[in-house]
Amino acid sequence: MSRFNVINSRARRIDTPDKATGRAVFIDDMSLPGMLYGALVQSPVAHARIVGIDASAAAKLPGVKDIVTAKEAGMIKYGVSPARYDETLFCHDKVRYVGDEIAAVAAVDREIAQEAVSLIKVEYEELPAVFTVEEAMAAGAPQLHDEYPGNVCAEVHQEFGDVEKAFAECDLIRTTTFKNKRQDAAFIEPMGCIAAYDLSGRLTLYSSTQVPHYVQRTVAMVLGLDVGRVRVVKPYVGGGFGIKAAANSGEMAASLLSKRTGRPVKLTYSREQVFMFGRARHGFAHTMTTGVKKDGTLMALKHECYLDGGAYSSFGIATVYYAGSLLGGPYRLPNMKYDGFRVYNNKPACGAQRGHGGVAARAAWEQQLDMIAEELSIDPVDLRLKNMMQAGDTTCNDLNMSSLGMEECIEAVKDGSGWTSKKGKLPKGKGIGMACGFFVSGAGYPIYRSDTYHGTVVIKLTEDGGTALVYTASAEIGQGSDTTFAMIAAEALGVPLSSVRLASGDTDMGVDLGAYSSRQTLMTGHAVKEAAEDVKAQVLDVMADELDVPADKMDIKDGKIVFTAGDVDISALRTRYIKEHRGWIDNIEEGPLTFKEASRIAYLARGSIVGTGKYKPPELGGKFKGAAVGTSPAYGCSAQVVEVEVDMETGHIKIEKMTDAHDCGLAINKTSVEGQMHGSLSMGLGEALYEEVKFDEKGRVINSDLAEYKIPTSLDMPNVDTIIVESDEPNGPFGAKEVGEGAIMPTIPAILNAVYDATGVRIFELPLTPERVYMALKKAKKKNA
Amino acid sequence: MLLPKFDFHEPASVEEACQVMAEFKEKAKPLAGGTDLMVNMKKKIVSPEQIVSLGRIDTLKDLSRENGTLKIGACFTVADLAVSETVQKLVSALGSGGRALGSPLVRNLATIGGNIGSARPAADLPPSLMAYGARLSIESSRGSRELDIEKFFKGPGMTALAPDEVITAIHVDIPGPGAGAGYINIGVRRAQDCNIVNVASFLALDEKDGAVKTARIVMGSVGPTPMRAPTAEKVLVGSRPDASLFAEAAAAAEQDCSPILDFRGSAEYRRAMVGVLTRRTLEIALKEAQRG
Amino acid sequence: MKKLITLTVNGKSHEVAVEPNETLTDTLRYRLGLTGTKKGCEVGDCGSCTVVMDGKPVNSCLVLAMQAAGRTIETIEGMETEKGLHPLQEAFVEKGAIQCGFCSPGMILSGKSLLEKNPNPSEAEIRGAISGNLCRCTGYQKIVEAIQSVKSE
Repeated sequence: MSRFNVINSRARRIDTPDKATGRAVFIDDMSLPGMLYGALVQSPVAHARIVGIDASAAAKLPGVKDIVTAKEAGMIKYGVSPARYDETLFCHDKVRYVGDEIAAVAAVDREIAQEAVSLIKVEYEELPAVFTVEEAMAAGAPQLHDEYPGNVCAEVHQEFGDVEKAFAECDLIRTTTFKNKRQDAAFIEPMGCIAAYDLSGRLTLYSSTQVPHYVQRTVAMVLGLDVGRVRVVKPYVGGGFGIKAAANSGEMAASLLSKRTGRPVKLTYSREQVFMFGRARHGFAHTMTTGVKKDGTLMALKHECYLDGGAYSSFGIATVYYAGSLLGGPYRLPNMKYDGFRVYNNKPACGAQRGHGGVAARAAWEQQLDMIAEELSIDPVDLRLKNMMQAGDTTCNDLNMSSLGMEECIEAVKDGSGWTSKKGKLPKGKGIGMACGFFVSGAGYPIYRSDTYHGTVVIKLTEDGGTALVYTASAEIGQGSDTTFAMIAAEALGVPLSSVRLASGDTDMGVDLGAYSSRQTLMTGHAVKEAAEDVKAQVLDVMADELDVPADKMDIKDGKIVFTAGDVDISALRTRYIKEHRGWIDNIEEGPLTFKEASRIAYLARGSIVGTGKYKPPELGGKFKGAAVGTSPAYGCSAQVVEVEVDMETGHIKIEKMTDAHDCGLAINKTSVEGQMHGSLSMGLGEALYEEVKFDEKGRVINSDLAEYKIPTSLDMPNVDTIIVESDEPNGPFGAKEVGEGAIMPTIPAILNAVYDATGVRIFELPLTPERVYMALKKAKKKNA
Repeated sequence: MLLPKFDFHEPASVEEACQVMAEFKEKAKPLAGGTDLMVNMKKKIVSPEQIVSLGRIDTLKDLSRENGTLKIGACFTVADLAVSETVQKLVSALGSGGRALGSPLVRNLATIGGNIGSARPAADLPPSLMAYGARLSIESSRGSRELDIEKFFKGPGMTALAPDEVITAIHVDIPGPGAGAGYINIGVRRAQDCNIVNVASFLALDEKDGAVKTARIVMGSVGPTPMRAPTAEKVLVGSRPDASLFAEAAAAAEQDCSPILDFRGSAEYRRAMVGVLTRRTLEIALKEAQRG
Repeated sequence: MKKLITLTVNGKSHEVAVEPNETLTDTLRYRLGLTGTKKGCEVGDCGSCTVVMDGKPVNSCLVLAMQAAGRTIETIEGMETEKGLHPLQEAFVEKGAIQCGFCSPGMILSGKSLLEKNPNPSEAEIRGAISGNLCRCTGYQKIVEAIQSVKSE
């Protein structure tokens, strides 16, 4: 029996009946009266000076209502982090990648808008372009941004402890390099928005976004509007995974067009445009040197990383920090040195994607740890257990593990997978591998430096009594946050889930930084809990007055008022409530006083009962440069075991079984937690085996569709054994922390380690396509021959 | 994504279709399942002015067996091909091709005629059809003709069809006892994939000594059209099939193909996979041939 | 030039004027307001536009509205009954098979078509039947479980 009434259960999600029936409204399902259709003019070349733009033919096309370029949009710079605002809405001097936005049109229908785009003639003077880190960093390479010489967007140099000194004390030091490829989030719903600027000068922007709050600020800044005049509303969103975690050019272009035409403007991205826009996982190249003692004790890590950043910064500064900082745990690592470089080039900008910055780094290191374990003849499980941090430990880079169920996770997957009977005992072609990982439960600091609350929540009780309305600006993007918050509100208030109604995703409802860095359950959850406790206290306060019982001798549980110090005569209150409801036939005649009655009486005493909640993390982390990135009030962690079968002739890898244990603190909704685990593993599997955004020699994406950019289908995913480990997180609401991103961390290295177990060959480059595996096997065969 | 503008025709008979095609010739494109043409039009790779849908011509949707030949209407869907017991029993390698194509949703629209007519080098059905020695019925207002499928493909997207012609049926001679075929494709993932290599092999064994009487090996995705592996076939004919013979044939097939490098795979990998799939499809073909 | 066609959608006959180059997806969404049919890729790769045409699930983005004239079309909006959710929809909700929900209409229609043909499918058959419907959120497992849970009902 759970000690909770609502949370820690498998409650049905509140949004899925609408989603199962096609009633749920996504952005392209909406239309507004008089709506125009927007379309973007995007560069066909990777690097060029804009000599001139001739929109005269497009302007003459019947049905075209407006055309905007940098001249109309202005030169206000924006981006994700104020430290690197390097984009303008439209290019004015030059274009920096294929897809860079130059202009936008609004027309009466989609066809005319497209035709107008094709009629806008842009004259380019092509410039030499660079497409790789090496090309971009070469001496004399063409420069993308005058402000960032050498095409270095950001660099990080950190050392904790003394790595060289530690290496001198090591028995074994190993260096490996590792590379992943650029990836795409491949959410199924492309981005889109409708901007509606009204006659009183207010903009309402409906958008498929993860972060209404940041979109509101960016659009207001770029358009020169007061933030208070911009309202961003998120309808249902078909996945985001990080790419929808910042304002995009379509949102700003539609807003500008709507402001100028006075009509609503819809602008949606095609799948090809989603790929052109990029902003997904960076390409990383890691070099790691790890030193250990004979007994497996980890001593030091020296780590160098180059990020293929693309044309603009996007999330890149955070990414380059995360790529280093997220190796601080979950193992005790006293000495760590990190040098990271994020490099511009003439491809679409990379940004954040599930497991931001840490996924490739984790893959590289966990594979290296396995290699070290083998050399030391230590079971990979034992090596990890030996070095595991304990709850309360702090990493060398000042990340505090306030709870850490890592050991339980490892033991769970070891037992669940039958590790001991399989490791090293499977026939050639079959293999088993394991890995661990951890991730933040919300970034410790907002993207812009501020003391802002990360989430504010308002709960109002309906005046007729009985229903709690939860208002939060947080973003349900598929992960189940609406249900999570409704459950937290119901639990904290002491009412059944059915007594809660929740509205979210609207900047008018408060501040919420949105769905990124796995922050909402912990951060918004805290604010929801506080708001619910606030309304509960107000209702009990009124009850205390009315019934002459001290408030601390009362509680609300399962929709009933509970008196903890003996029976209380409620008949007068009940009679009053019934009088309020003359003519109604559902009045309660007997039994304990209900929340419905109490909240009505509270309203009669005080007017609308409104409770508020808020959350921001305490000051976290160290004092060094970049100390903020990687901090979090809590960390989720996980371990996985993967079993594979490799076709030794073709190189095809079949993932046969995955066993995953994740410590999410207290699971608010167990079904949703498993859903995040399944989704993370599926994305990790795709990234490990198939996924790569490919470019031609001109910088154009070759595989800009879901046929050639290959995410796993139902036939590629095996069944996953998911084990929820519940540590008690002191900093989480009811002890809850993240699951949405941490669960992806061990997947790729567990696959890499299993492939080695199956084939005897280590592969240091992703994805593990049949061809890459085949070539690696062939090379190894030649070497051994 | 918007389709280009076009006029739409939906003839009710082959004769009517031929008339429309004759009227518009190069400006017209026949539309069968649409799983290639619609995509190419949306991506603005082709913009025909006239679309001639064959979807309402019921006679093109039949499968029938006459005198040792299977006649498959051009608009017989790949989904039906994939589940047809007749196909599975008589020409199993074609059924394998059907099941390998795209996804269930695509297979429900895609047709055998369309898969041939679009002439994609990596298409799933041509290799087995070529291995079985299939023939195509081609019609136009000028008359009808039959063409060996091997002579049909001229290059990626290019065929022996005149601008006014349409494919109406595919004829496959049902292999007799002692014959069998196999088809295998490989891509990257397990559904909805474009093939990196696909191979079909057909074997007919001599009744008396069990030696290979006829061998046809067809390799897809390793040249501008699906292509035969003549050297490999020569290796097989006249010898008794066994593992070493198949290995020799596989090695020969690797030399018979002319793969290019593209973003889906290197020439080296493709060539090596031709060898692996040749051997594996020959093993399937042999098993079927020996099942009696 | 627009042409008047008759589409039978969810048992109801609609007269609708469509352009020759208009896809069935667009007609359903923008002319008939049946926005449960989604657009994820528009080239037959993702399956979010799945509808059941003459009993078979297809990518409606690859079908011209004119090709669908006179045929029977079933969309997600046609699955609810007077009693509420269809048992398969109910199972998707109950099993947690829906996250962002964008693939769900297509996924449910593919599952329903399978169950009509094969009331007792194996896990492999279920995985095969939905292999044209991409989902990035769920890893498919709970979707498979949902379809499995109604198979014998």
